[in-house]
Amino acid sequence: MSSPSKRREMDLMKLMINDYKVEMINDGMQEFYVEFHGPKESPYQGGLWRIRVELPDAYPYKSPSIGFVNKIYHPNVDEVSGSVCLDVINQTWSPMFDLVNVFEVFLPQLLLYPNPSDPLNGEAAALMMRDKTAYEQRVKEYCEKYAKPEDVGAAKEEKSSEDELSEDDYASSDEEVMGKADP
Amino acid sequence: MALGDSDHPADIDEDLHSRQLAVYGRETMRRLVASNVLVSGMQGLGAEIAKNLILAGVKSVTLHDESVVELWDLSSNFIFSEDDIGKNRAVASKPKLQELNNSVVVSSLTTRLTKEQLSNFQAVVFTDIDLETAIEFDHFCHMHQPPIAFIKAEVRGLFGSVFCDFGPAFTVVDFDGEDPHTGIIASISNDNPALVSCVDDERLEFQDGDLVVFSEVQGMSELNDNKPRRIKNARPYSFVLEEDTSGYSTYERGGIVTQVKLPKLLKFKPLKEALKDPGDFLLSDFSKIDRPPLLHLAFQALDKFLCDFGRFPVAGSEDDAQGLISIASAMNDSAGDAKLEDIYPKLLRSFAFGSRAVLNPMAAMFGGIVGQEVVKACSGKFHPLFQFFYFDSSESLPAKTEDVGDFSPLNGRYDAQISVFGSKLQRKMEEAKVFLVGSGALGCEFLKNLALMGVSCSHQGKLTVTDDDVIEKSNLSRQFLFHDWNIGQAKSSVAASAAKTINPHLKVEALQNRVGAETESVFDDDFWETLDVTINALDNVNARLYVDQRCLYFQKPLLDSGTLGAKCNTQMVIPHLTENYGASRDPPEKQAPMCTVHSFPHNIDHCLTWARSEFEGLLEKTPAEVNAYLSNPSDYSKLMIKAGDAQARDTLEHVLEYLDLERCETFEDCITWARLKFEDYFANRVKQLIYTFPEDAATSTGAPFWSAPKRFPRPLQFSTSDPAHLHFVMSASILRAETFGIPVPDWMKHPRKLAEAVEKVIIPDFKPKKDAKILTDEKATSLSSASVDDEAVIHDLIARLEQCRMNLRPGFRMKPIQFEKDDDTNYHMDLIAALANMRARNYSIPEVDKLKAKFVAGRIIPAIATSTAMATGLVCLELYKVLDGGHKLEDYRNTFANLALPLFSMAEPVPPKVIKHRDMSWTVWDRWIIKNNPTLRELLQWLQKKGLNAYSVSCGSCLLFNSLFPKHRDRMDKKVVDLAREVAKLEVPDYRRHIDVVVACEDEDDNDVDIPMVSIYFR
Repeated sequence: MSSPSKRREMDLMKLMINDYKVEMINDGMQEFYVEFHGPKESPYQGGLWRIRVELPDAYPYKSPSIGFVNKIYHPNVDEVSGSVCLDVINQTWSPMFDLVNVFEVFLPQLLLYPNPSDPLNGEAAALMMRDKTAYEQRVKEYCEKYAKPEDVGAAKEEKSSEDELSEDDYASSDEEVMGKADP
Repeated sequence: MALGDSDHPADIDEDLHSRQLAVYGRETMRRLVASNVLVSGMQGLGAEIAKNLILAGVKSVTLHDESVVELWDLSSNFIFSEDDIGKNRAVASKPKLQELNNSVVVSSLTTRLTKEQLSNFQAVVFTDIDLETAIEFDHFCHMHQPPIAFIKAEVRGLFGSVFCDFGPAFTVVDFDGEDPHTGIIASISNDNPALVSCVDDERLEFQDGDLVVFSEVQGMSELNDNKPRRIKNARPYSFVLEEDTSGYSTYERGGIVTQVKLPKLLKFKPLKEALKDPGDFLLSDFSKIDRPPLLHLAFQALDKFLCDFGRFPVAGSEDDAQGLISIASAMNDSAGDAKLEDIYPKLLRSFAFGSRAVLNPMAAMFGGIVGQEVVKACSGKFHPLFQFFYFDSSESLPAKTEDVGDFSPLNGRYDAQISVFGSKLQRKMEEAKVFLVGSGALGCEFLKNLALMGVSCSHQGKLTVTDDDVIEKSNLSRQFLFHDWNIGQAKSSVAASAAKTINPHLKVEALQNRVGAETESVFDDDFWETLDVTINALDNVNARLYVDQRCLYFQKPLLDSGTLGAKCNTQMVIPHLTENYGASRDPPEKQAPMCTVHSFPHNIDHCLTWARSEFEGLLEKTPAEVNAYLSNPSDYSKLMIKAGDAQARDTLEHVLEYLDLERCETFEDCITWARLKFEDYFANRVKQLIYTFPEDAATSTGAPFWSAPKRFPRPLQFSTSDPAHLHFVMSASILRAETFGIPVPDWMKHPRKLAEAVEKVIIPDFKPKKDAKILTDEKATSLSSASVDDEAVIHDLIARLEQCRMNLRPGFRMKPIQFEKDDDTNYHMDLIAALANMRARNYSIPEVDKLKAKFVAGRIIPAIATSTAMATGLVCLELYKVLDGGHKLEDYRNTFANLALPLFSMAEPVPPKVIKHRDMSWTVWDRWIIKNNPTLRELLQWLQKKGLNAYSVSCGSCLLFNSLFPKHRDRMDKKVVDLAREVAKLEVPDYRRHIDVVVACEDEDDNDVDIPMVSIYFR
């Protein structure tokens, strides 16, 4: 296994090689966004989410922290913050896993098989347990309303303009850069 | 305080001893406070033992010594100064030891001891006693009613020994100091023997043969009888119970299994008997498995030498060495079955040479061990040393043997140390440039050790110590260079000047900088390059990792150590010889999942985590948000509109609540708020939860929703006659008043008056939110309510906030409260404990007292003086090797020790991983250098020539290049240094000629190759 300092780079690379849309903030590797499609055969199919990924200092010894940026209706996702109560990530994480596992396995599993017995969104969990049809309907309505390409794109535009800004910085003279050196 | 915990014993100062209480608990502390201890022999070892016991807070320590202070003693005794030479040692020690803790009675004895005098003590320690007297005294102690704990300890040069005799029948109350392990039951079979399986939430830590008790088992309630039962086949999630349960009722649900720790009886042998039949020695180093019996013989031979000649062997005297070897040889020949095959004359020779010297690191290490044994003897906490321990650090001797004349005394304070190591190494130590990172518990001990060893004590030497912390009361129970009059002062300055009183020659500079990326202008290249060695005295992993990276970069040795309660570890990082600190890591601490903390706690830790986060939200975060809004309403509003998400909406709702509906103007308002909070937290939220998930709720698979580890909650019915309820309202309203700047009236501290005020609060009836129960045909309406645009709501909230702001008095601000665990009068811990306990009550989880709550919620790291002293002693034994230079890997030792068991495990450090590629090989200590200010393209080509295909280049945590980003191709012809400046915002100081980048590469077969850091020279 590679040294921890290079793990971030390799894991990011692997995500991109697997055709994930990764969006970095000023080329930093601590925190970035990844686009995630709702898995087929689930009520989340067709939805598109922007996932905020934060790699802690101790990564890969410590699991990445994962949050939904645009809204999702799901028993294990906090409606306000978008944080995931992901036992599969927090509890079973080992340095052997990488980010591709998160997006290929952990997150699709979570959306395919929500776990209403450990809910973070109690209302969603209760609805899922009581009335699966109504629950799936609600999920789809949320997808329709909050998880379209525009929802991800709209948020993205804002960011990518920041990114462009950094490209401007990049092209500008040293002096200006020095002025902004300590954000 | 009228409603405070009434169980504070007046005799323990819990603010002072909080870190130690976290290790020992109140019961052990009570026993310690009742114990009288004798420490005989006040050279370096006696001083260290007495220090540790006085810090621990025994009732009294009596210092005994019949001789006077000699220059020789200054190598190891931190109490004496040159002015004390000629005074009786015990008398000279008393005043300075007394300063460490005024609640301990410290006295001195200067005359010959009679054994009858020993009756005054619960434990007696001898550090300088002949064997004949020792046997006589030990016999007296062993036969005494009740027995007196007898400990004999010696350090002779790099050799040490301890013997313990706690009497014919000593009871160990708690053999390891760990909390009893528990498990949450998932099923129990009706079988003989029965199989018990537990939920896969946490691994079980039971061991075969453990005794356990059951509680809360539903169905097979026969097990809830509190009778200890033995288990076997302990697995991570199950075990077998040695009991026939086939006739019992069928297991239904629930149940907790808890380990029972039974007291253990130890039968100690008296010294006379144990000398002949020592039993198993406690081994510390598997590479020296035959050493303890040899040292058992050597120490007896030395005693005989002392009796025969009336003096110690002289350092460098081959005649004396030979004399000792002959005595040992004769004793061995008459040892019968215990006769050793080889008595290693060479080792005995160096034992003889150093035998008169008490070395400071050895005294520190053994002072820790013996101090802990005394605590065990007085309290029954932890397993005693049974009965002999021998240790040597002969690897610390210089790698090249010195000529004999080099050991001769120079009539200075380091003569004892010179007699062991020679004057050449002494000079190297005095000239050393050392960086000590941290001056807390470890740092104080290190400063004392370094001062006594003479490290950085000549004009060429320099010791830099840095710490950004100030002294608090809870530090004083082990950070012994600090006194109560230093509270509030900078740790590093106080510690450095205290170290200078120990040895006025010490060249020490004290800084108050935190070591980290932000202080690299202080600890710059020049600083690092002049250093000989860095010593970590840190309390957190991140800072250690940072210092490790710097030492790795500048190729400097790093001596790391750490303690946790009675445990300690040391790790040596030596350039090119060992792996670096960051190369191996412990798994991060496990945190409880969010959903568990939110709604489904099943232990008190979950409740305390919740309480801590509610405390922060209520008293710190929201008041800070309120102030942020009030300081600049238009910018704040713009920010919230821009964010436009659910979180912004949530924050604004809270701010509005604080400024509108819940705003407090009088103390009565605060009481109302607190009373309503109680209703919200402990009644309404629970009612809502069990409305959403009724007790019989089932998941999609039909399994009961409320199954283990989840516990079904019940709402609380507020009552002013319940002191815990009232205590919640009291602490919550006092803190609420503080955030609003409202004075706290005196009457509220009288329970009856407070109760009257609380009774006046009108509580609205609870109506559950029905959102979750909507039927399908009502869906249309529900959706519109559930998903109103956050943006619209935010605009509305801001408009309402504007109105509220108009009604506030000008300049109104709230006072956010930061959680401070160590002030017993600020009500912070009162509120947190109340929050946690009321929640625990909701879920029928056992409640905790304020002290336990403080340990968990305050994340108090348990700490005691003994393990700290031991860790620094061990590190300083390694420091001799580092400063001498030329030692091989096999001379160094890393240690893990647990004084509670006791366990000492020393091993050679792990060498760095060697990476090979083509005909090259390297380790983490190597660096590649490329000159002439290359462009990115040139860098990649340079690597290509080595057969390495670089796909990613980074600087700090910024990517300079990654082959997958098309836009990075444009960077190819930029100079790497310019990229680093522009993309990574790297500021290169004027004097530096290079920058460093991390490159990820593949070889020709697409295998990743971990290459060294690349230094790019650009000027």
